[in-house]
Amino acid sequence: MDASRRSEPAPMKNPTTVERTSERELVVTRTFNGPPRLVFEAWTKPELFRQWWVPKSMGMALLSCEMDVRVGGQYRLEFAHGDSQAAFFGTYQEVAPHSRLVWTNEESDEGSVTTVTFEEQGGKTLLVMHELYPSKEALDAAGTGAADAMGESFQQLDELLDTLSASAGRA
Amino acid sequence: MTLTGMKKHVGVLEQAGLVTTEKVGRVRTCTLGPRRLQEEAAWIERYRQVWDARFDELDRVVEGLKRKERVDGRKQTE
Repeated sequence: MDASRRSEPAPMKNPTTVERTSERELVVTRTFNGPPRLVFEAWTKPELFRQWWVPKSMGMALLSCEMDVRVGGQYRLEFAHGDSQAAFFGTYQEVAPHSRLVWTNEESDEGSVTTVTFEEQGGKTLLVMHELYPSKEALDAAGTGAADAMGESFQQLDELLDTLSASAGRA
Repeated sequence: MTLTGMKKHVGVLEQAGLVTTEKVGRVRTCTLGPRRLQEEAAWIERYRQVWDARFDELDRVVEGLKRKERVDGRKQTE
């Protein structure tokens, strides 16, 4: 670890936790250092949403992002991953500004219903994302698929890091 | 551990799908469930890493919005 490379001390990173709370449910929690109105904005404005939803480590590119954030409104995200493309889409079921969003994931019959809540905590936001799948099998399958996809991109990352450290070793 | 305590522990594991049990006569046999513990831990961790990476980016977006608010706030008071 080379601390001198950092120009300024990194602020304390807030931990992300994931818990499988039942056979059909996953819960993700994270605190953000900003008020709910800003965090909510980042989840509901496409130009902001697309800045964070697809981190580079995922090895995917977001081709398009349309979001009509109101009850009954639709969203559609299109991705490219290598040569293949995928679309994710669904409907907003609940939209309570700065506090709660609920949407469906309709790209598969086994898609989850996602609920995100934004809770003010002394100028910060406690975000809780809850995914409810129609069956235990649907959650298992979603987990395995995601794990495989991530495993692939982590492997790419490992290879990249190996290359980098090998060239750093020569320098 | 008492038998009752053991039953409670096995019950929790069974509910989580980590073990399955079968009772024949007085003997209850436990086997690792359809979802093995390591696999479960591995995919939850990978899922967590996806969200952790996303949320690191979201931190940056929120920081940007905070800065913009401060600047806009100063403009309004000027």
